[in-house]
Amino acid sequence: MKQTVTNSGVGKWVTRMYDAEKAAGTLKFVDDLEFGPSLLYAKAVRSTVPHGEIISIDKSEALKVSGVKEVIVGEDFPYRFGLYLKDRSPMAIKKVRYIGEPVALVVAESEEAAEEGALKVSVKYKELEAVFDPVKAATDNSVLVHPELGSYEHVDFITPQPGTNIANWFRVRRGDIEKAFKEADYIFEEAVTYPQIAHGFLEPHCCVCVQDPVSQEITIWTAGQSVFTTRDIIADALGLPLSKIRVIAPPIGGGFGGKAGMTIEALCLAAATHPNLKGRPIKLFISREEVMLSSWVRQGYVARIRMAVNKEGKILGIKNTFYFDTGISAEYGANPVRSAGYTSTGCYYIPNVWTDSYAVYTNKPFGGAYRGFGMPEFMSALEMAMDIVAHKMGMDPVEFRLKNLLKPGLPTCTGMPMHNHALETIVKKVAEGIGINKEEPAKRNGWKRGKGIALAIKAPAMPADAASSATVEILGDGSVKVLAASMDMGQGVYTSFAQIASEELGIPIEKIKCYYPDTQSHPYDWQTVASRSCWSMGMALKLACEDARNQLIQLYSEYWQCDPSEITIEHGVVKCRKLGKAEPIDTKIQNGFKMPDGKYKGGPIIGRGHFVPPDVIYPDIETGQSPKSVVHFTVGAVGVDLEVDPHTGEIVVNKVVCGYDLGKAISPLNVRGQIEGGTVQGISAGIMEGMYYDDKGLLLTPSFTDYKIATIKDIPDEIQYFWEETPEEISPYGNRGVGEHSMISPAPAIGNALFNALKVRIHSYPFTRERVYKAIKQFDEKGNVDFWEYPFAREQDYKQAIKSWD
Amino acid sequence: MSEIKVNFILNGRATTYVGEPRTTLLRAFRAHGVTSVKRGCEEGECGTCTVLVDGVPMKSCMMLLPEVEGKSVITSEGLVGPNGELHPIQKAFIEEGAIQCGFCTPGMIMSVYALLNENPDPSDEDIKEALSGNLCRCTGYVSIIRAVKKAAAMMRE
Repeated sequence: MKQTVTNSGVGKWVTRMYDAEKAAGTLKFVDDLEFGPSLLYAKAVRSTVPHGEIISIDKSEALKVSGVKEVIVGEDFPYRFGLYLKDRSPMAIKKVRYIGEPVALVVAESEEAAEEGALKVSVKYKELEAVFDPVKAATDNSVLVHPELGSYEHVDFITPQPGTNIANWFRVRRGDIEKAFKEADYIFEEAVTYPQIAHGFLEPHCCVCVQDPVSQEITIWTAGQSVFTTRDIIADALGLPLSKIRVIAPPIGGGFGGKAGMTIEALCLAAATHPNLKGRPIKLFISREEVMLSSWVRQGYVARIRMAVNKEGKILGIKNTFYFDTGISAEYGANPVRSAGYTSTGCYYIPNVWTDSYAVYTNKPFGGAYRGFGMPEFMSALEMAMDIVAHKMGMDPVEFRLKNLLKPGLPTCTGMPMHNHALETIVKKVAEGIGINKEEPAKRNGWKRGKGIALAIKAPAMPADAASSATVEILGDGSVKVLAASMDMGQGVYTSFAQIASEELGIPIEKIKCYYPDTQSHPYDWQTVASRSCWSMGMALKLACEDARNQLIQLYSEYWQCDPSEITIEHGVVKCRKLGKAEPIDTKIQNGFKMPDGKYKGGPIIGRGHFVPPDVIYPDIETGQSPKSVVHFTVGAVGVDLEVDPHTGEIVVNKVVCGYDLGKAISPLNVRGQIEGGTVQGISAGIMEGMYYDDKGLLLTPSFTDYKIATIKDIPDEIQYFWEETPEEISPYGNRGVGEHSMISPAPAIGNALFNALKVRIHSYPFTRERVYKAIKQFDEKGNVDFWEYPFAREQDYKQAIKSWD
Repeated sequence: MSEIKVNFILNGRATTYVGEPRTTLLRAFRAHGVTSVKRGCEEGECGTCTVLVDGVPMKSCMMLLPEVEGKSVITSEGLVGPNGELHPIQKAFIEEGAIQCGFCTPGMIMSVYALLNENPDPSDEDIKEALSGNLCRCTGYVSIIRAVKKAAAMMRE
């Protein structure tokens, strides 16, 4: 019998934690914290050349600015940092590698003085040839972004190729690819490209660091998704014990992966650890332009996909080449490259697979984690390729997908058997919801209407040993203190955790509080990434709650002299119906119970739980094969009904229908929020977003004026969403992540709908007005169906692009 | 730079700030602990610093402190009652899941407040027009539109 009763448990539509403070504006983000008059401000001086040797840095004029305390350069803080590959120093040392790279840090008594000082540092460079095109960088070693690559430390599952610009090379070798292509009735070859894009969270990065001059202990307040990973990366680089670094993450204003791992903290530490500044807190708030230039971006992407298909429409083999443009650092970006690699047959069963997925260094801002983690890039290519193949074979695109679906039990491209899912049901529902085969007239005069579909899949992409732990303390009035160091960056994970605690403890959600992470108080969690928190931390938290509940029940059974199974906790009241006893949780829970023998027993009840995925084995380096390469996949599908104005190239999305199999919705209000938000972010990426550079590597889109993200005027008229709940075996409630998935496939669904509307296939994302217009014009003038624009080689056409890579 | 005194009404109270004339209204507020006014870009693009100046929603990063001399300014904190009661707009945002990270929320709510003062029963198009200067990256705006309609209904009652 279930021993707890609550109205605010798992699966209930409850409102979110911390929303009242957010609505009032009283919740304090890092930039809102007060540090008193000892606070100093730091401002970076940034490289103005894309690749060059630093000849000199003249600080003298900056030091004359009133309020400037110090100007720090790379040699003052010569440490390398990195999550998977230590290829990044917080400031350039001897050499700059992109426009925007920090070359000096001005520290001053006020933000204004720091800004003024930064303008007065003068740096001389000897320019070197730079490389911006990831395809060129991957295939031509005349410019090396990191000639020292061979000396960088890295984790075992990353395979940098010294002497080249390849920071990671992930391979899948499965079956007999040559035989598949020999036996094929049809061979298709497609190319797709996607530029770098920006996260566009509204809160710029901000952190405050201080080092105690005596104990050398470091405290960091940061807008970060990853307190423990930040702590561990810094400790590793500086050679300090973990216990001497405290990382505190107040609420953050959006993450989307952009605040994962370590971002600007090391740059701020260069000041906080400086002998002349030690003991004073240093604040580093970076401007919007600096966010665009010098924090993670989603990596640019170029894909070539070759497919071998038989007459019946079965895919026999796939040969993939992916170039991820990781900019000057792959310390984090090496991993989305793996993610796309080990998922490189998407939602399909393909028996013969050959995949080369490369992280390629270029002289541009660097790639890292971004909602979807390699999958929006890859699925934008694969789902478009699937559509092309279906059309070229004269098959229905939905039927073609269903025919090749990765059904439960079939092996993925790494050889892992696919678990149970409801993808077939989802695809059918989406196709029907969008009326995929129903031709409908455009609502707008002179416009063309089209419909398209794309499937979505993603596993949490993380090391095999990504662990979580949690503690749950029941306080003396029946309140509950949950310490689970996931970051609630808006996705609502604390609401989900409170619902889990409510479910397991029988205590109403109003009495439960989850605290923002602090490495000093919270037990360890790897990072808040990979849509893993409700699953991984959920496992730890559920165990912690069970532990606390068992302690409570054990004490009450002795106190009341009844069997533990006769005790229930109902809405915060402990009951034994058999004995007619009922009392709200009170101070006994922390001070101890006076037992029938007159002696006290108990003391504060603290439950603890921990979790590490029990059965994941890293894919083999040579073949990518593993009996269980990832913990699980969340699958789904997106259908888009849009119309496009052929005279301007403008796209309006009428309707989106999407569904995901998330196992179990712990907090439905937040699931809805993730689906709606991710869908619009995906549409935004598909229609308007891209980071563009001039031929010298200068970012042309460093602000929200030039880098457009969706405003309220850019959303679809209607978003219809649903979810299926096929339970996951190893999971607290059968749940799988869904935070990232909604962003994966709106863009390819738009691309496929555009083809349906215009009969023109645009291989280059995003589908901006200009590009759509040009594609229509090219079709009208030359009859070319395929439109290809690659920002680094404007004259190249689509077929030549493919050939030139051989 | 020499400092000047600026007198204005902040959330119904007479207030005097002392600051350099070049100080933006955004930075002045934040220096005085009014941190509901967020800095998301300081370039007038994102709307997270939106406040009402004499009833008109303004991006406070685009105003200098002296410009509010003698004017009345309302921020998100100013909508909260003396005992912490939330304004119907704030309540509707919570009930409809229109808040995620919360960074755009105070500015967004000020734009909604200005809209509903002028137009107690806005259409979808009216809402989109009024909020087009406030970016939100988390919600996809769908829940925000729901919240504005709910708030409008609550306020009409």
